[in-house]
This record gives sequence, C-alpha cells and structure tokens, in this order.
Amino acid sequence: MSAKPIVQVENVTHVYSRGNVTALDDVSVTINRGEIVGLIGQNGSGKTTLVKHLNSLLKPTKGRVLIDGEDTEKQSVQAMSAKVGYVYQNPNHQLFARTVQDELEFGPRNLKVDEAEIEARREEAIEFFGLEEMRDLHPYRIGFPLRKLVGMASIFTMRPDIFILDEPTTGQDNITTQRVYKLIHRLRENGHTVICVAHDMILLAEVVDRLLVMRDAHLIADDTPRKVFAMREVMESTHLAPPQITQLSLNLKKGKVVLSVDEMLKELKS
Amino acid sequence: MAKGKPVIEFKDVSFGYAAASDREFAIENINLTIYEGEYVALLGLNGAGKTTLQLCINGVIPNSIMGEFSGEFSVYGQDTEVTSVREMAKLVGMVFDNPEFQLSQMSVAEEIALGMENIGFSFEEMNRIIPEVLKIVGLSGLEERSPFALSGGQQQRLSIASALAMRPKILVMDEPTSNVDPIGKEEIFAVAAKLNKEENMTIVMAEHEVEVMAAYADRVIVMDEGKIVLNGTPKEVFSETALFERLGLRTPQVTELSAKLAKKGTRKFSKGYPVTLDEAVSSLR
Amino acid sequence: MQGIAVPISVVPGNSPIHRINPIPKMVWVLGILVISFITRNPVILGGVFLLGLLFVTIAQIWPSYLRVVMVLFPISLTLILLQSIAPAFPQPWTPIVAVGPFTIWQEGIYSGLSLLLRIMCMTTFAMVMIMTSHPSDIFASMQKVGLPYTMNFILTMTLQLIPILQSEFNTVLKAQKSRGLKGTGFAAILPSMVPVFVGAIERVQQLSISLESRAFGSSGQKTSYRQVQFGFKDALVLAAGALFSGAMTYWLLVDKTLDWSRTLTFSPAFALILFFGAGIGFLLFIAFALRLVLTA
Repeated sequence: MSAKPIVQVENVTHVYSRGNVTALDDVSVTINRGEIVGLIGQNGSGKTTLVKHLNSLLKPTKGRVLIDGEDTEKQSVQAMSAKVGYVYQNPNHQLFARTVQDELEFGPRNLKVDEAEIEARREEAIEFFGLEEMRDLHPYRIGFPLRKLVGMASIFTMRPDIFILDEPTTGQDNITTQRVYKLIHRLRENGHTVICVAHDMILLAEVVDRLLVMRDAHLIADDTPRKVFAMREVMESTHLAPPQITQLSLNLKKGKVVLSVDEMLKELKS
Repeated sequence: MAKGKPVIEFKDVSFGYAAASDREFAIENINLTIYEGEYVALLGLNGAGKTTLQLCINGVIPNSIMGEFSGEFSVYGQDTEVTSVREMAKLVGMVFDNPEFQLSQMSVAEEIALGMENIGFSFEEMNRIIPEVLKIVGLSGLEERSPFALSGGQQQRLSIASALAMRPKILVMDEPTSNVDPIGKEEIFAVAAKLNKEENMTIVMAEHEVEVMAAYADRVIVMDEGKIVLNGTPKEVFSETALFERLGLRTPQVTELSAKLAKKGTRKFSKGYPVTLDEAVSSLR
Repeated sequence: MQGIAVPISVVPGNSPIHRINPIPKMVWVLGILVISFITRNPVILGGVFLLGLLFVTIAQIWPSYLRVVMVLFPISLTLILLQSIAPAFPQPWTPIVAVGPFTIWQEGIYSGLSLLLRIMCMTTFAMVMIMTSHPSDIFASMQKVGLPYTMNFILTMTLQLIPILQSEFNTVLKAQKSRGLKGTGFAAILPSMVPVFVGAIERVQQLSISLESRAFGSSGQKTSYRQVQFGFKDALVLAAGALFSGAMTYWLLVDKTLDWSRTLTFSPAFALILFFGAGIGFLLFIAFALRLVLTA
C-alpha cells in the first residue's frame, strides 16, 4: 500500500444551475490508493454531490478533480466507469437484466473484457456474495436486501480501482450487513480504494480508516473515526451520533473512544 | 406491562399470500395481545413476517390482499373481516417504509385531507384538524408545499400526520426510518414517543434500530420465519443475546457488551443486562 | 427531490383571470376549440389568437407561456413548409412561385397559415386556463360537474407521476452510465426503462395499500377539501364565453363569404419569405434542441 493519491479534489465548488444552489463550496481532499474512507453528513450537506464528481457524473463549477492523476473534466461517465465503480443506494436504479447472471456480466462487457475473464469474474462474484441459488432469477424477484447485494456484485465484476458505496447497509438486515462488511474487508485486502457514504455509524466505526464529515457544502472534519467521534462540536452540529458503544466509553472512560464492543471488552478488563 | 385494556388480539392467526409461489405461511399461529397505550417494537429479519402481521392490524389483510387467512383477529373488539375499511381507518393509522410511495396529492394540506374526505369529514372539521396534526409532527406552515418537494424525514412525518388526521387510536409503523437521514430519524422517533406519552396512543413499530427501540418500547417482539419467538420487556427480550445471534439479529451494543462480560465472569448483572446507554453507564460505572 | 416542476402547470398569481373559477375558463377553451375547427380563415383565426394573447397579458403569464411556445411554434412551422408545397386542400391549386423542384401553391400558404393559427389559438387559450388555475381546483370543479372521484384521483396522480418518472429516468440513466453503458438510442433506453417501470409498479402497489389504510375504497359519502367558489363574476365570464363562441359559430356557419381561400392572394415575395422563414426557424430550433441534448 503506497501512499499514492488516487483521488485529488482541488478547491472544488459546485453550483447547481437549477435554483442556483451551492452544493460544494471550495472543497479540497486527497484520498490515497487503498484507503477506506467514510463520508458522513446530513442529506443536503453535499456528500452525494462530492462523490458524483469522482466518476464524472458532475463536473466542478470551479476547481478540478483528478482521478489517478487524470482530470475528470474531459472524461465521460462511461470512460470513468472502468476506474470508479458507483454502487447506488437503491439497487432498483441499477438493475434491469433478465437474470442475476446477466446483470453481473453487463458491466465488464461494456468495458470490453474478454469472455473467459467475464465468466471467471461472474463466478467469483456469485460465490463471494452467496448468489448461487438465484443466479437465474430476475433481479426483481428476489428480496430487497439480496437485490442490494446484486447491485454491489454488478460493480464488483467491473474491478474498478475505486468503489463508491452509497448507504450500503440501509434496508439491510444483520445477515446481509455482514456480507457488506466482508466485501469491504475483501476490497481492502485487494488494495482497492473504498469511499463509503453512510449514516450507519456502527459500520463506519468498524471498517473505515478515515472519516470525512460534511456540513452545508463544506468539509468540516477529516480524521480517523476515533478522532472524529471525539469531536463534540462536529458530531452535535451534524446530528450524528457515534455508535452506542463509543458513547458508553466516552462516558465511562473520560473521553476515551472505543470503536467496537470487543475493543470495549478489552478496555474494561485492563 | 399491561397498561390498559387489550386492544389488539391475535388468536392463532395464520396467513399465506396467494401470490407466493411456495404456498408457505407468511405468519403462522400468531397469538398476541397488545394493550392500550403500549409502545411495541417488532424485530426480525426481512421476510420474518413483520409487515404481514402489521397489515392484519388494520384489516388490509385479509380484506384487500388475497390469501389464506385463518384464526381470529380483532381490534377494539371488532372483527376486521367484517368491519368496513371506513371504520378500520378510524381505529388504525398506518405508516410505511418508503415515505415517497405513500404520497399522491398536490399539496401537504390535500394529502392530509385525503383520508378525511374518504370518511366524510366536513370542510370545517378538515380545516381545523390539518393545522392541528401538522403542529403535532412539526410541519406547521407547509400546507401549500408539494409533498414531493419535502425531505425524506418531512415526508414521513407528513405520512404520520395524514394517518393522525383520521383520529386513530393505534399507529402502526413499518420501518418508518429506513429511508431517512439521522435528523429525520430523530424527528420520527420523537413524534412517535410524544404520541405514545401524551395521547396514550398505542404504537406498533417495526424497526432495525435496536438501540432506539430499547429506549422507547414497553415491549419487544421478535419474529422469525413467520412466528413470534420472543415477546417481553426490552430487558427480558434483549437478554437472550445468544438467540439473537443465532437469528442473525443484533442486540443493543451495551447489552452485547454486558453479556460478554458476564460470560467471562468479569461482571455480574443481578438486575439483568442493561439495554440502554443510561442503564449501562450506571451499572458499569 | 428538489426542483420538480410540471412543464405546463399553474403560474402563481392573482390576476383577474386567476381569480375566476376553472369552469368558465373551460367553457372558453371549448368554445375556441369549436371556432378553430369550423373556420380556415387566417384573419379570423389571427383575431382570435390576438384575443388569446390579450388574455395572456391580463393573466401576466408571458414568461411561462413563451417557454411553451418556443417549443411548439417552431414545430408548427413545419406545417407551413409542408402545406405550401403539398396543400391538404381540394384541387385545383394556383401556383405562386417555384422553388427548385417544388411549387409553392396559393392554397398551400392559405392552408398552412390557417393550420398554424388554429394550433396557436387552441393552445393559447388552453394554456391560459391551465396556467391560471390550480390543478386541484380544476379537478375539484370537474368533480362538481360530475367527474367520478376515482377518475379525479387518477388524473391527479398522473399529473404528479410525470415529473417523478422524469427524474427517476434521469437517475437510472446516470446509474447505467456508471456501469459503463455506452451509446444512445434504443440500446441505451431499454436498460433505463426497465428500472423506471418496475419502480413505478412498486410505487403504485405501495401507494394502493397506503390509500387503503386511509379508507380510500370506503363506500358512503365522501367530502371534498378543495372548495371552489362560483360567484356572479364567474357566471358572467361563463356567459360571455358561451355567447362569444355561440355567436361566432353561428356567423361562421352562416356567412359563406368568410371562406377566403380563393380570394385571399399572396404575392410571390410573401410566399418565399414565409416558406424560407419557416424553414430557417425550424432548423434553428432543431440546432438549439440538439445542442441542449448533447450537452446534457
């Protein structure tokens, strides 16, 4: 894991022409290859606007965005899709094919990956996400939590360097949530960069290296979850509550931040 | 924890959707009594039968959704199979998980009026009730706004207001916070708690947020594969941490911690495991 | 979900026309519809059109009106182009001037002008009605004159769904592009249509359960929250509309001299200017539209 920047957002301002709303106001952030980053903030704080700049869905009004050193200004979304995979919050926006299997092949085929490789990736995804039983089913015939996994798998087969996961655990139950954890760990092992837009603090506390906090079009904090959870003003002003276990440790251990139940267990034993 | 008289009674109720291919029961042999003024949390995996159970409460099952229904069910002593939709709507208000999919009207005021029009409230009554319910959910002044221009949390509170306008005694909410941001969640939980405390409204809420439910609910019911597997106070139910894990469900983090501490013999919890942050702080201090 | 707007919808305002009940306005629209169809006389249609523009002025809806006309008018110009060289008119035709292999006919210009003006008359009056009446008021009034409640609900819902589906379609298209979807046309449309339709079906299923729990299907008397007033002024406008269109219809049917198709002659210069003006106007519009689509 070299500390090479893969995402460079430089003084980006974005103004939506409709309604003249400034959704990003002079935001700068650099993300290194292999980092697992969480992005939090209320709806309307600019999170989604920011990540949409990473795969060229939006272009900066001012400033520039470099992905792997290349300016996104001249790149189309389709060209960016080889590098940046965007998993939408609602799988219904992404899925359309007749079977789960076709769905998994759609992305790599668009990228002109050769057939043998497509097949290998598809089988790997089916195994990894546990989709064997539903490979021939229509994506809309399976329940929402699993459908959401299919959405992730359909990007997984494209092997992008950067994964953007938009609320990967909303609408999930604990079992499918565990799969999401597993996915993020796997991506970390393989050296992918992951940007996780989420409200799920328990997830973020356990998986991310770094938390970016947005409020009113500004980036107001950028540090490890441990540090961010201890920033009282930041957390309160964004109405974000750290996980219950963190709140407990803050309360019992005079400002000490733990991120998981197991960590608290160790903490209490010592 | 019986607060008042029994208002919702399931006696051996089973239901299977006609549309389901496998002809399995979505809920099976449900026996359950809910009392007036109770705040009941419903937990379970997707597909455990929470939604089906909730749809029985206002009679949409079996009246409008096809399927095989057996057993006896009543709300305030009325058999939903024979009570008209109109009467049921006055007893039970429903709020669903996707805020936007419940809305259809041009303005907030008309959205709220819709239910009242259907049961024949007069114009004067509607004019009096609309600002009243908007005030309860904290949306005063937005009468003329389009429902589709509201945030997710506001839309969900509008759905609550639309249900409240018909003066129900029971409010059934199916994962009302699953599609809204943290502020929206706070607002919705606050409104539900207020209705329960101040108006003594019976609340039946399906939720994944166990930490919040542990703090608000009088009773927690856990469902698995169409059956009720746990039913009791949050303290009783969440102390079954091993069962929760087996079912693929979470308990509040503080409860999980306490159970692990107890297992290792590090701590003893004579009054049961803590289920809320405050309890944990005082028992672990 | 911000910034959703129905393309043609009510323009908030408090003009005298805004304050009139939708029913008299509908009577006007119907009356103009009849008039536009029984005459081909461009001068009379032009007069009615000017009357429409007067209403647009009174209602103070020029900007919104122009936004619609900017799309509608250039498309309607093709009528002039096509009609001039191939009139939808009984033979014999009188030639005016030749443009390359085509001949511009006297009857063609006449027919093209009258078709264009017909469209402009009808849409102008319809837009004045739509842009000055709240849709809920229109539906409430229609319910008063006998439209069934369910029908009313379906109309309201449809009007709501159009912009929602538009924005859904945009979201889905973006999601598909993020998966490397290339190309345009049918190949790109299909992957985007499926999710939109499935989403719409799920929406309707969920909505129907939600409505059910608000007693939507209940029998018995229903009331209406939207109260629309019908006062003396409204009656006056209604009477004026009925009288105007009635009298015009009678006059147009009785007075045969109003058919000017053989008497109104156009000079070759006028014909050429009209023909090429229409062509250029249309092409400019296409160029403008293409640029919008390509940069989107």
